[in-house]
Amino acid sequence: MSAFIAKRLGLAFLVAVAVSLIAFFLLRISGDPALAIAGEGASQADLDLIRRTYGFDRPLPIQYLDWLWRTVRGDFGDSIYFKTAAGPLIFSKLQTTLVLGFAALLCALLISIPLGVLAAIYKDSWIDRLCLGLAVVGQALPNFFFALLLIMVFSITLGWLPVSGSETWQHFVMPTLALGYYAAPAFMRLIRAGMIEVLEADYIRTARAYGLPAWRVILRHALRNAIIPVVALTAVQLGFLLGGSVVIETIFALDGLGYLAYQSITYKDFPVMQLIVLLLSVIYVVLTLAADIANAWLDPRIRVAAV
Amino acid sequence: MPALKTLAAALLAAACVASTAAHATKKDDTLRFATDQAPESVDPFFNNVRIGVIIGANVWDTLIYRDPKTNEYKGNLAKSWKQVDERTLEFELREGIKFHNGEEFDADSVVFTLNFVGKADNKVTTQANVNWIEKAEKLDKFKVRITTKRTFPAAIEYLAGPVVIHPAKYYAQVGPKGMNEKPVGTGPYRVAAYVPGKSITLEKNTNYFKDSPKGSAKIGKLEIRFVPDQQTRMAEVLSKGVDLIMHVPKDQAEQMGKVPHLQVVSGETMRIVFLQFNTLDGAPGKALKDPRVRKAIAHAIDREGIVKNIVGAGARVLHSNCFPSQFGCTDEGMTRYKYDPVLAKKLLAEAGYPNGFETEIFAYRERHQTEAIISSLQAVGIKAKLGFSQYAAMREQVRANKSQISHQTWGSFSVNDVSASIPVYFAFEADDISRDAEVRDLLVRGNTSVEPTLRKAAYKVALTLIAERAYTVPLWSLPVFYAGSKELSFKAYPDEIVRFWEMSWK
Amino acid sequence: MLQRCLHNKAFAIGASLLLLIVICAVFAPWLAPYDPYAQNLELRSVPPFWTEQGGWAHPLGTDQLGRDYLSRLMYGARISLLIGVSVALISGLIGTTMGLLAGYFGGKIDLLVTFLVTTRLSLPVILVALATVALVGGSLTVVILVLGLLKWDRFAVVMRSATQQVRALDYITAAQAAGASTPRILLGEVLPNVMPHLIVVATLEAASAILLEAALSFLGLGVQPPLPSWGLMISEAKADMFFAFWLIALPGGALATLIFAINLAGDGLHDLLGAEGRVG
Repeated sequence: MSAFIAKRLGLAFLVAVAVSLIAFFLLRISGDPALAIAGEGASQADLDLIRRTYGFDRPLPIQYLDWLWRTVRGDFGDSIYFKTAAGPLIFSKLQTTLVLGFAALLCALLISIPLGVLAAIYKDSWIDRLCLGLAVVGQALPNFFFALLLIMVFSITLGWLPVSGSETWQHFVMPTLALGYYAAPAFMRLIRAGMIEVLEADYIRTARAYGLPAWRVILRHALRNAIIPVVALTAVQLGFLLGGSVVIETIFALDGLGYLAYQSITYKDFPVMQLIVLLLSVIYVVLTLAADIANAWLDPRIRVAAV
Repeated sequence: MPALKTLAAALLAAACVASTAAHATKKDDTLRFATDQAPESVDPFFNNVRIGVIIGANVWDTLIYRDPKTNEYKGNLAKSWKQVDERTLEFELREGIKFHNGEEFDADSVVFTLNFVGKADNKVTTQANVNWIEKAEKLDKFKVRITTKRTFPAAIEYLAGPVVIHPAKYYAQVGPKGMNEKPVGTGPYRVAAYVPGKSITLEKNTNYFKDSPKGSAKIGKLEIRFVPDQQTRMAEVLSKGVDLIMHVPKDQAEQMGKVPHLQVVSGETMRIVFLQFNTLDGAPGKALKDPRVRKAIAHAIDREGIVKNIVGAGARVLHSNCFPSQFGCTDEGMTRYKYDPVLAKKLLAEAGYPNGFETEIFAYRERHQTEAIISSLQAVGIKAKLGFSQYAAMREQVRANKSQISHQTWGSFSVNDVSASIPVYFAFEADDISRDAEVRDLLVRGNTSVEPTLRKAAYKVALTLIAERAYTVPLWSLPVFYAGSKELSFKAYPDEIVRFWEMSWK
Repeated sequence: MLQRCLHNKAFAIGASLLLLIVICAVFAPWLAPYDPYAQNLELRSVPPFWTEQGGWAHPLGTDQLGRDYLSRLMYGARISLLIGVSVALISGLIGTTMGLLAGYFGGKIDLLVTFLVTTRLSLPVILVALATVALVGGSLTVVILVLGLLKWDRFAVVMRSATQQVRALDYITAAQAAGASTPRILLGEVLPNVMPHLIVVATLEAASAILLEAALSFLGLGVQPPLPSWGLMISEAKADMFFAFWLIALPGGALATLIFAINLAGDGLHDLLGAEGRVG
C-alpha cells in the first residue's frame, strides 16, 4: 500500500510541476504583458517602467523560477488589475465556487441516481428509453443557453429568483441547476450500467428469491455496489465543474473563482490568471489522488495492478 | 419520477421564499446600480475605466467644478483662483471641509496630492492627466500655488476633472494601495464597503460641505455591482433587481422604454468615433497613401443612415475629429464628405482602383457599427476584413505600423479641451500614424499658447488640414442610454459621469 | 450491416438528423436564400414567419444588422461541423498516436503517456482555452488549434486500453513472429482493430468541441464576427433575448439539435460496433 501511495504521490508531484510550467508559459505566448497592463494612452517610457517594475525584462526561465519559488512560499504577488494581494483575493472567492461546485454535484446526483436506478430496473422498457433520451437531450443543451433560459423563466417571467449576485442561497439556485444538469447524464449512464450488472449478480437474485422486498434489495444491496465507480467519477466531475463554472459564474455574476478568472482574462491580469489555473489544477490533482488512494484502499486488486 | 417531483417541489418552495424577499429600493433608500467593468483600483489616479471616473466624482472632490449644464467653472474645494503667469496658478481654498475619516482639508492636502501624483515614479495610470504638474507649494494654510511644466492652458480643465484631492496624512501613510482598500475623500458619498471585482457600497456623506457646487446627496445608500454580461444587467433591471444601468444598446433601450416600470434616458457623450488611416511608409497596403482613396472611403459611408438606424438618438454626425463642446473644436469651413457612393467609385477609379481593393479594419468596440461600415465599403468595391480585438492589442498593432484602417473611439477622459483629443493622434505621439509636421506644429502652438483666440485659431487650421487631407473619417459621437426605475429621477450628461448625488426618488 | 443500422433506432434518428444538417451545410451556397453577410439596415430584427409581423421574404427573420437569419444559420452549420471535424482530427491524431504507442509498448512509454494524460486532465479546459484565445486573439483557426491541442485525452485513454487488449491477440503475435515492422503492425493490424472505439470517441469529441467553441464564442473569446457561428449568434443576440427571443432560440435550438444528432448517432454506433469508450 505505501509503495502504491508513494508512486501516486510522485506522479502527482510531477504533474503539479508540469502544470505550473504550463500555467506560466501559456500566459507568456502572447508576447508582451506590459502592453496589456499599460492601458489607453501609455507612452514608451511608461512601458519601459512597467517592464522594469514587473521584471518582464528578465529571461523567461529566471522569471519562471522566481515565480515558482515565490508561489511555493505562499507569496502570490499582487493582482495587476485589482492592485491588491492576489492570494487573499483568490481565496476569498474560492468558497463561493466550492459551494457552487458541491451544490451542482449534489444536484447532478439527485437527478441521476433515481433516473439511473429506474432505467436499470426497467431496462429496455419505455422508462429506460425515456431516461436515456433525457440524458442525450440534457447533454445536447449548451449550459450557457440553458442558463439564459432559466433567467428568462424564473427571473423575468415568474419573478421568483434573483438574476445575479451571491448574497443569499436563492442566488445559487439557477447557477446550480445550470451547472449541475450537465454533469447528470454521465452519472446516470454509469449508475444504470452498474445497477444492471449488479442486479444480474447471483447474490441479488438470491436475495430476491428469499422474498426480500424489491425496494430493499435495490437500495441496500444493489445500489450500494453500483455506486462505487460513481465515487471515482465524482472526484473527476467535481474538477470539471470547478473549471466549467467560469461560464456560469460570469452569466450570473456570481462572485466566485470562475467569475474572477473571466475578469482576469479580460483584464489581462497575469498573476491572477496563472494562480487560478494552477489552483484549479492542483485541486484536481489532489482530488484524483485522494480518489485513487480511496479506491485502492477499498479494492486491493487496483493496488497490485497499478504497482 | 418521484425524484423530479421532489426537486420541482423544492424549487417551487425556494422560489416562493425568494419572491417574498423584499427588494431593497426606494423603501429603504438604497439605489442599486450595475455596471460591466470592475475598477482596477478605487483610487481615481490608478484606474482608467468609466466606473472608476464615476466613483471618483461621487466620493472625491476637485479644486474646481465644471457645471455640466453651462460648462462654467466654479470653485469647489477652492474658493477662488487666478492665473499669475503663463505657468503659475494660485488657489484660495475653502475652510472647514473634512475628509470622510475626519482629517481636515487644507493646503497640505492639495500640495501632497499634486506633488505625489505628478511624480512619474508614482505611476499614475493615465500620465496625461498629471504629467503637466511641475510642483505645488503651500503659501499658507489655505493658499496654494501650482506650477505647470510648460504653458498649459488646459490645467483648469484637468483640475476640474481627473485630479481629485486626497487627505495628506492618510495618503502619506497608506499610499495608493491603502487608498484602494479603504478609500477616503471629501465627496458627497463615502465608501462603506468594497469587495474587489464584486461590489462597492457608498453611503451619503452627512457632513458634506454646504457651499459645494455639487450639492449634498439625496439618496442615502448606493450599491454598485459589477455584472459583466449585458443581458444579465438587463435582466436585473427588468426584474427590479437593480434600479439603474447604463450603456444599454440602442435597440434594447427602445424596447425597455416600453416596459411599464422602466424609464429610458439617453444623451450624447464626449466619446467620438472615427476611422484612422495608416499613411506611413511601410504600412501594409499602399492604397491608403493616396488621398483620393481616403476621400472615397469617406464618401462611401452613409453616416446619417448608420446614426439613425444603428447608433441611435443622442448621437450626431461629426465633420471634424474632436467633440464639439471641447475648447478649440470646430467644424466651420471644414471639407465635408457627403454620402455619395458614385463619387466614391469615381475617386477610386481615378486612384487606379476601379474594382476596389482588399483591406482590413481593426476595431475593439461597437462591433455593429464596424460591420455596417464594412458593408458600406463593400458597396463601392472595397473588401474589408474585420480584425476585432481588445483595445490594448489593437493599439499595439496600430503603433507597430501594422494597421490599415482602424475604427477608433476616443473619450478624451471627459476633458473639455481639444488638447485631450487631437494631439493624441496628430502630434507625433505613439498613436500618430499620419505624421504631418505641419499639423503637429499647429497643435503645439495651440497647446502652449495662453491666449484663447490664438489657441482657437491654431487648432482650427490644424483641423482644417486634417479634414482636407482626409487622415481620418470623423464619424459620429456615441450616445449613452440609461435604463432605470420610474421611481428614480436622474439625468444623462455628455461626460458620462453618473452624478448620483443629484439623483432622488420621485 | 445497413439493416442493423436502420434497426437501431437511436442511430437511425441521429444519423438522419446529422445528414440533414450536413446537407444544409455543404449546399448552403445553393440552399440559402441570401448572402449570410449581406446587411440591410432598413430591415433589422424582422421576426420569423410564424409571428404577426413576420413574412416569407425572410422565413426565419433577420438579425440586428438586417442579415437573413436562415442563411446565417445554414452557414453557421458549416462552421460548427468544420470545428467538430477538425478538432476531432487533430486531437484524434495526437491522442491515438499516444494511446497506440502506450498500449503497444507499455513500460516507460506507457508511464510517459499516463503522465501526459494526467497533466492534461488536471488543466481546466475552458479556462486554458479562454486564456489562450484572449492572449493570441480569436479566430476560427486559433479556436480549432487550441481545442485540438487540448482535447486528445479521451482518445489517448481509450486507445491505450483498446490497444492493450488487441496486443495480446494471436494474429499480432503471429505478425511479430513473421518479422513485420512495428509501424506496419501498428497501422496495419492494431489500428483497424481499435477503429470502432476510435470512431465512437471521435463523435463524442466532435460534439464536445462544437459545444466548447459555442461557449468560447458566447463569451466573446471564440471565432470573430461577421462569421455566423451559432455560439456567436447567441452571444450577439443575448441582449435581445427579452424582446426578440427567437434570436437566441433559433441558434440555440440548432446547436442543441446538432449535438443531439451527433450524440445519438454516437450512442447507436457504440451499440452497433460493440465498442467501449463512453466515459460521460
